[in-house]
Parts: sequence; structure tokens; C-alpha cells
Amino acid sequence: MLNLLTAERIKLLRSKKLWIVISILILLPIYQVVNSKISVNYGSDLVQAKDTVINGATGILMMEKNGFTILFVICAFISFFIGEEFQNGTIRNALSLGRSRTHYYLSKLVTASLLSLVGVIIMTILGVIGFSVVFGFGEVAGITNYLSYATKTFGTLYLLILANVSIYVMIGFLTKNIGISLVWSFLYTIMTAFVPPVFLQTEHFKHVTFWFTETFLNYSDFASPVDIARFPEMVLVSIITIMLSLGLGILFFNRTDIK
Amino acid sequence: MSETILKATNVSKIYGQHKALDKVSIEIKRGMIYGLIGENGAGKSTFMRMVMGLIKIDEGNIELFGETGSRGLQQARRKMGQSIETPALYPELTARENLQVQAANGGVSNREIDDLLRLMNLSHTGKKKTKNFSLGMRQRLAIASTLITNPELLILDEPINGLDPSGIVEMREIIQRLVTERGITVLLSSHILDELSQIATHYGILHNGKIINELSKEELARETRQYIELETTEVQKTVVVLDELGIKDYVVVNSSEINIFEKLDDVAAINRTLVLAGVNISRIGTTRQKLEDYFLQLTGGNTHA
Repeated sequence: MLNLLTAERIKLLRSKKLWIVISILILLPIYQVVNSKISVNYGSDLVQAKDTVINGATGILMMEKNGFTILFVICAFISFFIGEEFQNGTIRNALSLGRSRTHYYLSKLVTASLLSLVGVIIMTILGVIGFSVVFGFGEVAGITNYLSYATKTFGTLYLLILANVSIYVMIGFLTKNIGISLVWSFLYTIMTAFVPPVFLQTEHFKHVTFWFTETFLNYSDFASPVDIARFPEMVLVSIITIMLSLGLGILFFNRTDIK
Repeated sequence: MSETILKATNVSKIYGQHKALDKVSIEIKRGMIYGLIGENGAGKSTFMRMVMGLIKIDEGNIELFGETGSRGLQQARRKMGQSIETPALYPELTARENLQVQAANGGVSNREIDDLLRLMNLSHTGKKKTKNFSLGMRQRLAIASTLITNPELLILDEPINGLDPSGIVEMREIIQRLVTERGITVLLSSHILDELSQIATHYGILHNGKIINELSKEELARETRQYIELETTEVQKTVVVLDELGIKDYVVVNSSEINIFEKLDDVAAINRTLVLAGVNISRIGTTRQKLEDYFLQLTGGNTHA
């Protein structure tokens, strides 16, 4: 497993994909700081419930503010990262050396998860610093222990993202093709963002809305006490999503024929 | 007796209604260069993928280095290297980086990389990305990549496919060098029997998923060797004259044809002696069954090899 991770590190560090993802996640907070400053200069007020990030303290919510963008960037990255191994035939090189398919799958998941973590850490740090410089560090309304709040919020938001990373990795291994993986990953991201709230309109299936991590990511306010109280539920849904996608992904990958 | 490196027993692979491999049995011993010959779609790559554990076996079993269980096979595969179908490389990486990735995959050090680049004549490629390599260079790099883990068995699928004549000669020399210098056993495939005949020590002919013939280099040479073809209405009389000439290696094919396998440079002298002895000769000349003709004859002649 460690050998496979070393191989992934070599491939990733020399790949354009990594630098494209990191660049997007660096430029996005900078652009948003500038954009917010321009809005304020034109007389608009930043409102936490609407703008999500309004000062340095709320910069911890950069993942919430950019949930969709992060998911699209990561799903595109994962589609290429896994799909090209199948399309170049390079997956044969590792597997024919007697490497376990489960280890191979896990090495891809760990690498994608670590890249996502690094990406969102950079984005959050730049968000906190950028908004602090322009608008001051300030505070999150109603939060007395900021460090504890920031840690829990960041951890929960990352787990919600990680659940999607796990789904994208599963799709990548199931489709074995960059283009098809991109289409299905995009569809999954869009569908789970917009379809679950439809269940809220029904009497019997309301609860289904909260079986999807994107519901929390897109429709929660991570600075509101009501939603902060739902962090354990978000963590649980994320962990179940990760376990299910991981189990299914490994099961199918172990049974698949490698061309 | 040499150690058996690979033993496939009645191996089958079925895709829907199509039997890609039908009870294939092959035994490869240490030191062999085993050539798997078959037209496109005969099942060569399928067999190789099965050996490498890339696709599931529907029937039969495979033994590698004496190991049969799934864990044992997985361990045994660490002693193997493969280049199946197109060279599997990372196009955005250099030759050295590709080898570093494979060294990491195999859990071995990078110490051999320089030697392998030199061995494959790729030392000069420097920072050139493999996507800009010629096919020959990519083939050589793919082989270098398989060698990084010091394999005892090398599986090469159509290694000369798409190469120009000089590339073919170079590839042949590389494979021969690997066998003599590193003692590697090789299983390689091709649909060109003539090319394999210059390198392989043993052959398996695969047709429609079945092994239809297995033979050694010597047997193939015997099957396809050059001979004098003689047509006459007086076979008995001809045989007497041939005996008088001291020719022993000949075969009476039928009532009008004799094939002579020696004194191939003396056709004119044999002809003169026969005529002077009053034998009525309707045709005499040297001929050779081409390897491709031999292959077509075996496969029914209706395939493009």
C-alpha cells in the first residue's frame, strides 16, 4: 500500500492536474475577497446568511461558500486521475505485479482525499487571511469558543466533501473511462444537490432529503446554532456514504476484468 | 529437468456466447522463449491477461512458479513483468519518471534505472516526455519498465507490432540479450510467425481460442525446411539412382513426387545423373514451405496471419 502511495505521489507531483486544481483553489478565495471588497465599495453590505463569508472568522466557511465549485473541480480531477490509468493501460503495471486490487483502490482514494484536504486547507487559510486583511478578523455571531467551533466546522465540512470524493472514486473505477466518469460524476453532483429537496415536499419521504451529504453542504448555514447542532448527523451521513461507496467500489473493482 | 515456470491447464475464458479461450494448456519451462502465434482475435492477449491476473479464469487453472492458490499466484506475479498490447506508459512523464513509478509500484529501489535506460538505448531522452517518443522508443521503455523489478518471466504481447524493420531487429536483439544475459524466461506473442521463428525456442499456435499445435524450434525447422522437390513417372527407378548417389534423407510423397532434404546445392548434378540413368523427370527444383504457409495450412488457410 505504501509503495502504491509512493507511486501516486510521483505521478501526482509531475502532473498538470494537481497544479490546475491547486491553482483554482488558490485563486478562488483571492477573487472572492476582491469581489466582496468591490461590492462593499459600491455600497452593499455583506450579510452572513447570504454571503456566508463576511470577515476573517467566517473564512472557516470557505468550503460552504464554494461547495459546488470544489465538488466540480475535484470530480473532474478524479475522473482524469482514475480514468487515464485504465485508458493508458498503466493500471496493468501495478496490478500485474501482484498488487492487491483493494490496496490499489484505497491508494487512489487516499491520494484523492489528501489532495482534497490540502486544497481545502489552502482555500480556507487564504479565505481567513484575505477576508481578515480586508474586513478584519471579526467574529462568528454567537460563538464564544472560536477554535473549537472552527475545528468542528472544518472537520464536518471536509467530511461532507470527502463523502463525495469517495463517490467520485467509485464512479471512476466503475466507468473506467474519463469521459463517462465525468458525465456521471457531474450528474451525481447536480442530482444530489437539487433532487433531495424535492422529497421535502412529500409527507412520507421528507427524511430522505437528509440521506445525501450535498443537502447539508448546500442548504445549511454552518454559522447558525440550529445547523451546528446537526453536525453529528452530517458526520454520520458522510461516514455511511463513504463506507457504502467504498464497499461497493472495491467489490466491483475486484470483479472487473482489466483490458 | 528444467523448472516449470508457467503451467496452464485447460484454461477457458467465455465472453457471453463467445469462447475467447477454449481449454488452453501450455507449459513453459525456465529458459524458454515461448512464442504464442495466432491471428488477431485468436486469444493471445486474453491468455496473457489471465496469466497476469488481470481477467478472471472461467475454467481450468494456472500454476506460476509452482504456486496455484490466489495468494500464491499473487506472490508469484511479483517475479513477472508484462507489456500487454500497447506500451502502458504515463505520457506526461519522462522515461526516468516512468521507471521511478514502476519501481515504486514494485517496491524496489531506483538503483537500476540508469542501467536500464542504457540497456534500452534511452539514456539520451532526458526531459523528453514519453508522449513525444517514437513507437520503438515507447516499446523499449515499456520493456525497461517490466525489468525494473528483475522479473524471472517476461510476458510481451506483440512487441514488434508497428515497428519499422530496424526497430524489429533492435527489439529482437534486446529480447535475446535479456535471455542470455539475465536468464529471463520469455512468453511473447505475434501474428507474424516468420518474426517469431528468429527468436523463439518453442511455439504454441493458437487458433479460435484453442492451441492447435505446439512444437519446438527444431520441429518447426523440420516442418518448414528447404528441400528438392522432384516429380517423375518412375519413382522406383529414381529411388535406386538416389541410393547410388548416396542420398539418404528423402521422402517419397506419392507415386509421382519425391522430396530430397540433402545436397540442396547439387540440383543440377542430381538432375543430370537421373537423366543419364534414363529416368523421366517432369520437374525438379528447390522449394521451401514458407512459415506463413505452414501457419495457414494449420489454421485452415482461411485466416489472415
